[in-house]
Amino acid sequence: MPAVLLFYRLIVRPLRKEMLRTVLTALAVALGVAVVIAIELAGDAAAGSFRASVETLAGDSDFEVTATAGGVPPETLAALASLPYALRLRPRMEDYAVLGERTIPLIAVDLLADALPGHTGDSSSASVFQSDDSIWAGDGLGLHVGDRVRLLINDRTAEFSVRGVLGARSGEVIVMDLAPASRVLGRTGNLDRILIQTPAGKSLDEWEPLLRAGLPAGVTLARQGSRTNENRRMLAAFRWNLRVLSYIALVVGAFLIYNTISVSVVRRRAEIGILRALGATRASVLGAFLGEAACFGLLGAGVGLALGRLMAESAVKLIAVTVDSLYVSSRPGSIHLGWDIVLLGLFLGTGVAVLSALLPAWEASTVVPVEAMARGRREHEVRMHRWRNLAIATALGLAAWIASQQGPVDGKPIFGYAAAVMLVGSSALLIPALVAGLSSVSAGLIRRVLGVEALLAARGLVGSLRRTSVLVGALSTAIAMMAAVGIMVGSFRETVLVWMDDRLQADLYLRPAGPTGPDKHPTMSAEVADRIAALPQVAAVDRFRAYEISYGGMPAILGGGDTAIAGRYGRRPFLSGADPRVVFPKLGSGDTVIVSEAFANKHQVRAGDVLKLPLGGREGRFRVVDIYYDYSSERGYIIMDRKTLLRYLPDPAPSNIAVYLKPGTGMDEGKRVVEEATAGRRVLVFSNRTLRAEAIKIFDRTFAITYALEGVAVFVAVMGVAGALLALVIDRRRELGLLRFLGISGPRLRRMILFEAGLLGLLANVAGLVLGVLLSLLLIYVINEQSFGWTIQFHWPVAVLLGAISLVYAATVAAGLYPAWVAVRLNPIEVIHEE
Amino acid sequence: MSILSLEHVSKSYMTDGAPVPALHDISLDVGRGEFVALVGRSGCGKSTLLNLAGAMDFPTSGTLTLDGVITSSLNDAELTRIRCIKVGFIFQSFQLLHTLSVVENVELPLMLAGKTEVRQSALERLRWVEMESYAARMPYQLSGGQMQRVAIARALVNSPALLLADEPTGNLDTVTGDVILELLRRVADEQRTSILMATHSVEAAAMADSVVYMRDGAVATS
Repeated sequence: MPAVLLFYRLIVRPLRKEMLRTVLTALAVALGVAVVIAIELAGDAAAGSFRASVETLAGDSDFEVTATAGGVPPETLAALASLPYALRLRPRMEDYAVLGERTIPLIAVDLLADALPGHTGDSSSASVFQSDDSIWAGDGLGLHVGDRVRLLINDRTAEFSVRGVLGARSGEVIVMDLAPASRVLGRTGNLDRILIQTPAGKSLDEWEPLLRAGLPAGVTLARQGSRTNENRRMLAAFRWNLRVLSYIALVVGAFLIYNTISVSVVRRRAEIGILRALGATRASVLGAFLGEAACFGLLGAGVGLALGRLMAESAVKLIAVTVDSLYVSSRPGSIHLGWDIVLLGLFLGTGVAVLSALLPAWEASTVVPVEAMARGRREHEVRMHRWRNLAIATALGLAAWIASQQGPVDGKPIFGYAAAVMLVGSSALLIPALVAGLSSVSAGLIRRVLGVEALLAARGLVGSLRRTSVLVGALSTAIAMMAAVGIMVGSFRETVLVWMDDRLQADLYLRPAGPTGPDKHPTMSAEVADRIAALPQVAAVDRFRAYEISYGGMPAILGGGDTAIAGRYGRRPFLSGADPRVVFPKLGSGDTVIVSEAFANKHQVRAGDVLKLPLGGREGRFRVVDIYYDYSSERGYIIMDRKTLLRYLPDPAPSNIAVYLKPGTGMDEGKRVVEEATAGRRVLVFSNRTLRAEAIKIFDRTFAITYALEGVAVFVAVMGVAGALLALVIDRRRELGLLRFLGISGPRLRRMILFEAGLLGLLANVAGLVLGVLLSLLLIYVINEQSFGWTIQFHWPVAVLLGAISLVYAATVAAGLYPAWVAVRLNPIEVIHEE
Repeated sequence: MSILSLEHVSKSYMTDGAPVPALHDISLDVGRGEFVALVGRSGCGKSTLLNLAGAMDFPTSGTLTLDGVITSSLNDAELTRIRCIKVGFIFQSFQLLHTLSVVENVELPLMLAGKTEVRQSALERLRWVEMESYAARMPYQLSGGQMQRVAIARALVNSPALLLADEPTGNLDTVTGDVILELLRRVADEQRTSILMATHSVEAAAMADSVVYMRDGAVATS
């Protein structure tokens, strides 16, 4: 108990006296923890609780039979039924229907054989099931028995009657019987999936070979839920990178905790000396300062958890946009703050705070009572260590370069991240030299141009070099991450713009109305394309058909297009540098494909490799002719000629149509005649320009979350500057009082503090920009390439960088306003006679 | 004509809503080049009187005239200006800025007064206090006596009419303290600068032209 009482008197009570600084420091931890918690919660909600929507109503099935693309032939069902086991088989078709603004999974099952779970409504007769307008609605749709609804399916709309509502928690789903569904969906009779429930008695491992033996070639047997797992695997890299970004604010917070505890130690040096002289052990001094840090950590973590829960609401929306745009259609689940997350928050808050405080707390424990009175020595020591720090910084920089040359570990750019951490460490160690160097080099200039206040400000910063360095370190780390992500996203954006210039050569593009996604490829009637091709204003029509497939345990897209047209009009760039007019003709003959860069990197595919794809009931072998740059989907594409695709999957309905107008045909006229040709179909026609604008809009929305994370990190750093400047003012109050005695006026004193804030901001911007450029190289050429497999061309987003840096600079100077106000209000008589 | 004149000056501070008297009905004149010692125990009001004399504070009642100007009629900017050009301060704990070198500390009042060519004047003052060879050193590299010499150089660099010294030997050993007192004597004799020195040491007061004894905020004997 005496220890607790002493801790309260010596540590907690001073914290209460400086409430504003305590609150600012705790808030820095709180924001750091909040961001991590928000991303963790939102990630779980957006992807963690994600189930592939086509797996809705899978029930308690054990296995599923699918085909790579084009569906499972009905004979497969017969083959499985003929096996001598009491298997429960559930054939299904899966697609999407658009109800109002919502895209809803449409599942067709055998309603005669398969009772719907807990539904209400009419299911008494086969005629009800087999009517083309009968649907059963999930409880999440808010529909009632007897409602009439208009659904958009592919490029057609039709009226349906709600015959029943499924039981609780069935969510947003529409169910039909197989027979009417195949008519409505325009299917040839193939199924999308056969779910298998095995009888008890054997393990699933035992069942697997038995079932596999009974299946024809061209179909795949997998454990039920494998699609969800595939999607989760695909999202792992995205979540991993997001998680790493979310820790930046916490790292910045760690700098500030280090600073706060350092300030605490420097201020209480004399006190520590007295305590040591009175019999306090080194361990108790160490424990006291670590305890102080733990107080900040616990307080911050508590607030951070609550804040994180709130922030998760917004974060989940931003993450869902990215998941939907780049990965897979999903609907975020609910946000659940469980005990595991609470413990994570507490552990992170206190852990980071205690770790950050280790060094200053250890220094406190080594204080020799006699030395404790000598002010100035601490700063002097930092100057003495500058060369040692420079040597360590160089070694860290070298180690970072070596780490950046290493490959991924288990698909994760572990060494890339290690290199980034080492670069941040290296930069932090270089900062004392930078601060002192720049200040001494510019002293004369500062004095001449900006006056004595600026000189005093510069000297004040160098005089508190240790503290200044930590502050500049914190702010520059935040600025560096902001600049790095800004450069990376800006480079990516520019790369995509250049790529679109090459890729999008057609004048008009068509797709079915309703939302699309990387895993949704609704089709249009083949006759639409034929009608457009027959128009006198049209030079060529490229019909592209996409299928969502699974390759190597990961989702991918199989596509077929008219490669002759693509070769004639397109400028699709290939990794090999080959001319598209040479590559595309190779696709016209034989089983050959081109694959996207993302696909090639994900599956380690090179030109000349052969891909085995079970298609249309047989296994095709496709030679990879070349690899092309593509930024439209992280899943990756396998592209073959349309004729080749039709040989395996004879469904002529295209997913997208590209229209090339004849020279002399105006865009407005072309669009009008094409729209007339699609009359009666729910098809959207985009001009080339509109499509590009739409794509860039999606791109910008996708990266909104990264900017939000950077914003929080910078906010934490600027807040830290405010707190630390306040501490500097309080610590130097005697000096400031003396300046008043020597004749400095209040406004000039205010200007001096603002100069200090400005110099801090300037130094942090310089250091942050240099570090940011290095980190951006790591992000672009190591972390991005190893995580996502995209080649990004380096580009300087000058306007964005200048804007962001100016904003941070202004915020830093503004952060000096309150400390400056405090400095001006100090009573010089009181502070000068304090001793 | 006196450089500093106090007529029936009183000063009170408000503590918990009640006035606490610090100085009571002080009348005092310091002539040009005169060295006056204020002697009394801690808390008798010496420092308060110095603060009023240095235009750092206003009297509650009475009139304080500094080189012909009544300080209570001035605003903050005018007070700052008058401090800058007419008054120099020396403190018990030297009060050098640790972030500035010796010569930069001495240059500071000149720079705050808006002067540009300051190095030569600063070095001259340092030479006068025999510290020129330490010009490039930092304060923490000096002894207490050396720091106080630098503080005197800084206080004199603007050639003020009045030098206010608050226990200038309080942190020094006897020998070093005597050297500093002799230096102050020289300031008064050679520079014709008036000095008002607060001290509780009778020996230190012996260096002054006149001694004012203070007790409980009032002048006891002159």
